[in-house]
Order: sequence, then C-alpha cells, then structure tokens
Amino acid sequence: MSAPGGQIVVDDLTKVFGGNVRAVDQLSFSVEPGSITGFLGPNGAGKTTTLRMVLGLVRPTSGRATIGGVPYRQLPNPTQTVGAALESASFHPARTARNHLRIMCTVADLPMQRADEMLDLVGLHDAARRKVRGFSMGMRQRLSLAAALLGEPQVVVLDEPANGLDPDGIRWLRGLLRHLAEQGRTVLVSSHQLNEVEEVADRVVILNHGRLVRAGSIAELSAGTDSVLVRSPNLQALHTALTGQPVTVEPVDPTAVRVRGMSAAQLGNLAFTAGVELHELSLQRFDLEELFFSLTSGQ
Amino acid sequence: MIPVVRAEFLKLRTTQVWLWMLALAVIAGSLIVVGGLASDSVHTPRDVPDVFANANGTLLTAFVLGVLGITTEFRHQTITTTLLQTPSRWAVVAAKLFTYALVGLLYAAACAAVQLAIAVPWLSAKRIDFTLSDPDVGRAVFGPLLLFALFALIGIGVGALIRNQIVALVSGLVFILVINNIIPAIPVVKNSYAYTPAGAVTEILFPAHESTPGDVHLIGSGGGVLVLLAWALIPALIGAGYSMNRDIT
Ligand SMILES: Nc1ncnc2c1ncn2[C@@H]1O[C@H](COP(=O)(O)OP(=O)(O)OP(=O)(O)O)[C@@H](O)[C@H]1O
Ligand SMILES: [Mg+2]
Repeated sequence: MSAPGGQIVVDDLTKVFGGNVRAVDQLSFSVEPGSITGFLGPNGAGKTTTLRMVLGLVRPTSGRATIGGVPYRQLPNPTQTVGAALESASFHPARTARNHLRIMCTVADLPMQRADEMLDLVGLHDAARRKVRGFSMGMRQRLSLAAALLGEPQVVVLDEPANGLDPDGIRWLRGLLRHLAEQGRTVLVSSHQLNEVEEVADRVVILNHGRLVRAGSIAELSAGTDSVLVRSPNLQALHTALTGQPVTVEPVDPTAVRVRGMSAAQLGNLAFTAGVELHELSLQRFDLEELFFSLTSGQ
Repeated sequence: MIPVVRAEFLKLRTTQVWLWMLALAVIAGSLIVVGGLASDSVHTPRDVPDVFANANGTLLTAFVLGVLGITTEFRHQTITTTLLQTPSRWAVVAAKLFTYALVGLLYAAACAAVQLAIAVPWLSAKRIDFTLSDPDVGRAVFGPLLLFALFALIGIGVGALIRNQIVALVSGLVFILVINNIIPAIPVVKNSYAYTPAGAVTEILFPAHESTPGDVHLIGSGGGVLVLLAWALIPALIGAGYSMNRDIT
C-alpha cells in the first residue's frame, strides 16, 4: 500500500486568473504518505485553486504539481490512484446517488457493487436510489466522499470535507481520515475547522493570499510555544521577581501576563519565594487557531 | 476507451432527456408524415419521397441531444468528475462523439419505423405504389439515419467548443433555423450554401436538381456528408484541444 508514489509535490506553483488575480503565488510544499496534512488558509487564500491545479483541472500559470512524480493528467489509472472530493460537490440533480457512483465504476473498470459498498460506508444506504436533487448538504458531502474513496486510492484529496456534516459525521470523518493515514495513504484535507484539523492532522500547510506562510508538523509548530498565564493583583512585584530570568513576558490584561521560558511550577515557586499573591497560574497549550490568526491577520 | 463509451451510455440512460427528445422526434416526424399523406399533394409514387424527407426538421432533436450531452456536464459541473476520471480531453470528446452518433442512428431508426408503419398502409389504401428499393424513397427514408448521427456529432462538437449550455443551444439553433436559411437569398454568399448544414441536408434528402432554394450550386450527397462531418469534427477538435482545457473552477 505505501509503495512510493503517494507523495504530492507542489513546486513553485502560481496561478493568475484573468491577468490580475494572483490566486496562488509561488507556492511550494509536499505532502507525505501515511499522514494527514491539513491545508489551511482564510477565504480566498487559494486552497481550492491549488487543489484544482494538483488535479489537472486548472492550468498553472507557472510551476507544476505532481503526484508520485507524475502530473495528474498523465496518471494511468487516476480513479485508483487519487480520490478527490472538491468543494461544492457537483452532481446531476436528476441522477440517483447510486447511478452517479455506478457511472464512475464503469469508467474505472471497477465492479458495480463498489458503488453500493461505498454508499453503505458513508451512511447513504437508504438514499442510494434517490435523486441527488433532494439531498441535504451533508448528504452531498458524504456522496462526494464515497466518490473519492471508490477506487481505494493511494492519495486522498478533500476540499473542506467537514462542511455541512453534523457533529456525529465530523467525528466519523475524523476516524475515517485516521484510518486512511494508518493504511499508509496520503491524506490532504483543506479545512476551516481549525480545532478539527489540530485534532486530526499530523502536519499543516498554512496559506495566505496565495503564499505559503508556514508548513510543518504540529509538533514542530508547537515547539516552544507553550506559555503560562499568570494573574496577580500585584504585577509590579511579579515583574521585579522575574527580572534577570530567561523569560519573555507579554501583557494580557491589567491583571495578567503571559510568560514563556519557564514552567508553571518554576513560576509558582518564584512567586511564593517573592511573596507575590497569585490569582491564576495556568499552562497555555499550543493553539493552532492562535497561530493561524497571528500568521494570517493584518497582512 | 470502451469503458468511457459505456459510461457515456450509462450517463445518458440515467437521466430522462433522451426519452423526451426521442418522443419529440418520433411524434413530430409522424405528424409531418401524416400531414403530408392527408394533404392533396400525394398522388403518384413520385410524390412519396418528399413525404418522408419533409420530416427532416426532427434532425434538430439529435443536435440538441448532442449539445446537452456535453454542456449538461459543464452546467452541473459533473465535468469535474468526468475529467478527474478521464484526464484526456480527447478521449472524453471522442467517447461522446461515438456514443451520440450511435444514439442519433437509433433515434432515426425509431422515427423511420413509426413513419413507415403509418405510411405503408395509408399509401396502399390510396393505391399508390410504394417500394423502399426505389432510390429516391430509400434516400428519403434511410438518409435520416446518417443525418441524425451527423447532427448529433455536430451537437457534441458545438457543445465541446462553447461549453455554455444556453449559448451553445441558442447560437446553434439560430444558425441552423434562421441564418442558414437566408444564405441562399443573399447574392454574395449564396454559393456557400452547399457547405452549410441546411445545404448538406438538401443535398442528401432531396434530389439536387429539384428543390434547390435560390438556384444555388450544390455538390451532391457524398459532398453533403463530408460537409456535415466537417461541421462536427472541426468544432470537436477545437473543443477538445482548447475549450475543454480551459480552467474548470
Ligand atoms: N475562475 C476564477 N476566476 C477568477 N478568479 C478566481 C477564480 N477562481 C478563484 N478565483 C480567485 O482566486 C482566489 C483564491 O480562490 P480559492 O477558491 O482558491 O480560495 P480558497 O482558499 O479555496 O477559499 P475558501 O476558503 O473561501 O474556499 C480568490 O481571490 C478567488 O476570487
Ligand atoms: Mg475553497
């Protein structure tokens, strides 16, 4: 399963729409097999455009994207190699869910019962023979997921798959993604749900205005970012006690500061020794949301 | 390539447009034949071919079906799935050309069967000799088989080139129904009529010397087939090589 070939490489990719909209700007990153990579960025950052270029649907202005070293359009069996579910999934409204998948099975030379298996997997068994016209957003989302997984692809590319899913659906999706990654598949998921991503992704790629602002594993991004929130009625005395210590202190509000470079235990001990009264002493864990906003706001 | 063609048939079968278009072609064609037979103009075997040939307007159903066969994919964005599964735009357009030519042929066969079922007993009641082995009758009854296939191909070609459903349908129909028919009346361009779809239909269905509008020069039925093939393949080639490669967003 984890044969080489599951790697997605985006190499210096640029897309300019209509001569002036720079949707993606000299973007480079890679996505590795056996892990889930979250693809993040605010609205209009260029996530969908990037994924469409990876999938050969949008022609890059310059640069290239490959899957297992090959541009998408040259893949010999695309359905069995890459499964993709794009934003605003698109089905013929008068066609049933089952027929949509059966057409896909026909093109890819897959046995027809794959269609029914996939509908069961995504929980659409009862809606299989209904026209897509009457589907809710979450049902459409599930159907595009079924379509993406139809050929048991090595690479799975999902554009905002959690949109429209209910809490149960989101939890189920999270488990599914984990399962796919454990099987050695490459999973690239764009999302707005930062907490979801933080919970499930191994790596993140953060995009803003078409440019890469940060890429790395959650562990790398969170290294050294833990901090301690200290609240005291006498911040002046606390500042005095911290003078000369290897820490950075940033104000949070008139009665609290955020301290980096010292554990909560060390800080508590220091305050106790100096006789400073404390009203709060809490560890602040890495927060993807905060990192995201610090990287993407005000630019 | 065979799976892609089979999938095209499945796409067609899993929605209902094909049925509506078929019903339209069969019913409209039959009504025209009935109208011809009921009128006072059919007295001798020489009058028989035009009874069938006059139903040629039903060709437009094949054209419309072809246009819908490709533009519906853009309208509902199923083209994304299609191109993800078959990244070669050439393969997609070729599969559609093949599929819709065959469907056009089947449409024409259905129309011909119903029209014959009406006309044969009617003509014998009128004591007018009728034989399919007469070349003029044969061409009027079986010519549409070829023409329906060719017009379906033109529909695919125009759809691949234009992509937008409304624009493709409206411009195609306005050209065939309006512009094409006034060409013989315009002195400077009237001899280009032989190279237009309506001109080609005239060449194939009506013996060239009789009912040529505006006395324009025609090039025979073989030439007519080539003309229609060109009208199908040139847009199909530009469509597959250029339009279908434009961004799908
Ligand atoms: N076909 C198009 N023509 C012109 N501009 C486009 C086109 N498609 C996208 N854009 C522009 O490219 C930029 C990136 O859009 P894109 O859809 O890739 O963003 P995104 O990161 O997916 O956003 P969202 O989170 O809202 O889905 C936007 O400014 C958008 O307006
Ligand atoms: Mg998007």
